[in-house]
Amino acid sequence: MKLTKTSKVAIVLGILPAFILYVVFAIYPILQSFYYSVMEWNGFNEMTFIGLDNFKKLFSDPLFWNSVKNNIYVVLASVLGQVPIALFIALLLNRKIRGAKLFRTIGFLPVVLSTVVISLTWSLIYNSRNGLINEVLRTVGLDSLAQNWLGDTKWTMIAVLVVVIWQFVGLYMIIFLAALQNVPGEVLEAAKMDGASEWATTWKITVPMIWDTILVAVILCISGSLKTFDLIYVMTNGGPAHSTDVMALYMFNETFSKLQYGYGSAVSVFIFFFSLILIAVVNKVLGKKMI
Amino acid sequence: MKKLGFILMAAVMLLALAACGGKDEESKGSSKDGAIELNLWTDWTEDRPENTLSKDIIAKFNEEHEDIQVKIEEIPHDQYETKLRTQAAGNQLPDLMRVWPGARTAPLAEGGAILPLNPIIDNWEGVIPDSILQDYAVDGNYYAIPGNVSITSLIYYNKEMLKEVGYDEFPATYAEFKELVKALDEKGITPIALGNKAIWPLQSVYISTIGDRFTGSDFLNKALNGEASFEDPQFVSALSVIDELTKMNAFNEDMNTLDEAQSRNEFIKGTSAMHFAGSWAIGPILDSVENADNIGVAPFPSFEGGNGDQAKIAGVAGGGIAVSSQLSEEEQEAAFTFLKYYYDEELYQGLIKANIIVPADVEMDDSIPQIFQDANSYVKGGLAPVYDATLTPELTDIINNGLQSITLGDKTPEQLAKEMQKEAESK
Repeated sequence: MKLTKTSKVAIVLGILPAFILYVVFAIYPILQSFYYSVMEWNGFNEMTFIGLDNFKKLFSDPLFWNSVKNNIYVVLASVLGQVPIALFIALLLNRKIRGAKLFRTIGFLPVVLSTVVISLTWSLIYNSRNGLINEVLRTVGLDSLAQNWLGDTKWTMIAVLVVVIWQFVGLYMIIFLAALQNVPGEVLEAAKMDGASEWATTWKITVPMIWDTILVAVILCISGSLKTFDLIYVMTNGGPAHSTDVMALYMFNETFSKLQYGYGSAVSVFIFFFSLILIAVVNKVLGKKMI
Repeated sequence: MKKLGFILMAAVMLLALAACGGKDEESKGSSKDGAIELNLWTDWTEDRPENTLSKDIIAKFNEEHEDIQVKIEEIPHDQYETKLRTQAAGNQLPDLMRVWPGARTAPLAEGGAILPLNPIIDNWEGVIPDSILQDYAVDGNYYAIPGNVSITSLIYYNKEMLKEVGYDEFPATYAEFKELVKALDEKGITPIALGNKAIWPLQSVYISTIGDRFTGSDFLNKALNGEASFEDPQFVSALSVIDELTKMNAFNEDMNTLDEAQSRNEFIKGTSAMHFAGSWAIGPILDSVENADNIGVAPFPSFEGGNGDQAKIAGVAGGGIAVSSQLSEEEQEAAFTFLKYYYDEELYQGLIKANIIVPADVEMDDSIPQIFQDANSYVKGGLAPVYDATLTPELTDIINNGLQSITLGDKTPEQLAKEMQKEAESK
């Protein structure tokens, strides 16, 4: 009895420093932006209470909905692009193939690179006059396929999404590989003895056994893509003509270049609830509570 | 015993946390030897002669003044204003900071974050014309002393390429200019190198002057006050110039994916015949171009039927340093001493040598390059307001994005004008 009591105190005391840090640097700022979101404030002057006007303005701004739409594209591209591709590569690399280590390193490389480096490199690759893609297309006589990838609003979002997928495939690949290595060998062996084909083993045994990991990956994917910012900021800054604007970028520009701290806070409050709801829905749909 | 250990550990961790907060307080204010320490935020990260000059003057000031020490903190230009605004919102401005004039200083001044310099403004009477000092004034109070004048609209051209298509002189009217663009395009030469990824060049460089030639210099303030409308046909004509030039293939096709410096490099490399940029490009172009005599500089052509003065060029004072309003009286005095020392003959003379146009009248000798002397002489035609220094941040954002949409064919000049008017009326 006495022991549990002291250990409780010890637990509280032990948690306290981390807890205080978390409250001061995470919880408090979130509550503060709730407060700012009902204010009109340019960052310098006195704040004035304006109720829900910021949200009214937000919901009636077509540029905002445009950024939501683009953000959903990013989420879809991440979930439907990154996860399956990463799973496929991980399944391949999990077999005994020559140079698996090398491929693994190559696959993981983009994750280690700084986003700014990635963005600038891809901007060069996409350049319409002397970028790699158009040069290759022209060299093989496919001039008609060469596009102004980052300059033409028809293509910018697609061009950006390709980079988004490319950047994080490696991360999920490593996560899946780790999970695959934990699939017990005897189960696979048993399947083999029963005469199951490779295809059946993969779909009926391997994938179900790492399903939990796949769910975690999907949720990481969604929350990561909802706050995507750096890559697009450097590559296109949301342009041209807002064609690659996403929510975080919209919030940043409204807050800092137009000096609307109140309005910007309203945008972040929206992003907060939007992510929360989306993740709750995914958790429900995919069945298990993972995070 | 065990319990005590935990309490001790927790206490130590809390102390460590508290220590993070405490340090700041100590470092602010006076340093060990009793000298007043002033923090100055600048964007002097690039290795340019004017930056070195400013730093040298400050180093010299620190040497000569034992009781005042100015400490420089450098922040890259593109992040500078964002950082400043964020700090201002948190009430944590540095003691001294680089600021840009007009609408970009106004929020700081109106919020009472920076100190009026009225008590010491007489120091520059007769040295800097009041019309230029006014650029840093908000509601009759002066908030910074201009160090330079930045002309935002000049045309740099490659003389050889112009000769190839039969032009010895740069065309003086817009009609002739269009002929030149057509001739260059037919020859397969990109007429103008434009880098509009950051979306301000078309507005700041192009429309500031083109707009002024069509509408006259009072227009912007009138439109902001509701006495004029952005849907004015003259203003729409100005926006239409961008539309027309785009359709004539005047710009490189990757204009929306290059930034300003990249497009300047294209011009320096000789892949295009012209580059429109402000006086900030003089130094870099002279430094990197192979044959400086091959580069000419011209004012914008005149636009027929425009209401404005066809000789004016958009320009604005720059290089100002503002003083935080949170300083103690003693620190204020120190800051004033510093400003008086800094904005003096040595700075202006040095800037001229670095090819920077200055607000003060300074004599020039023959060692100054021709391009610079030409550019400097265009200032005599008078300065027109620069759009992003005059418009509200919201309107600047709309016109920046709108001009880009025009080049993409997503918007017409009329639509953009309408959108701007709507925003202006909503205030």
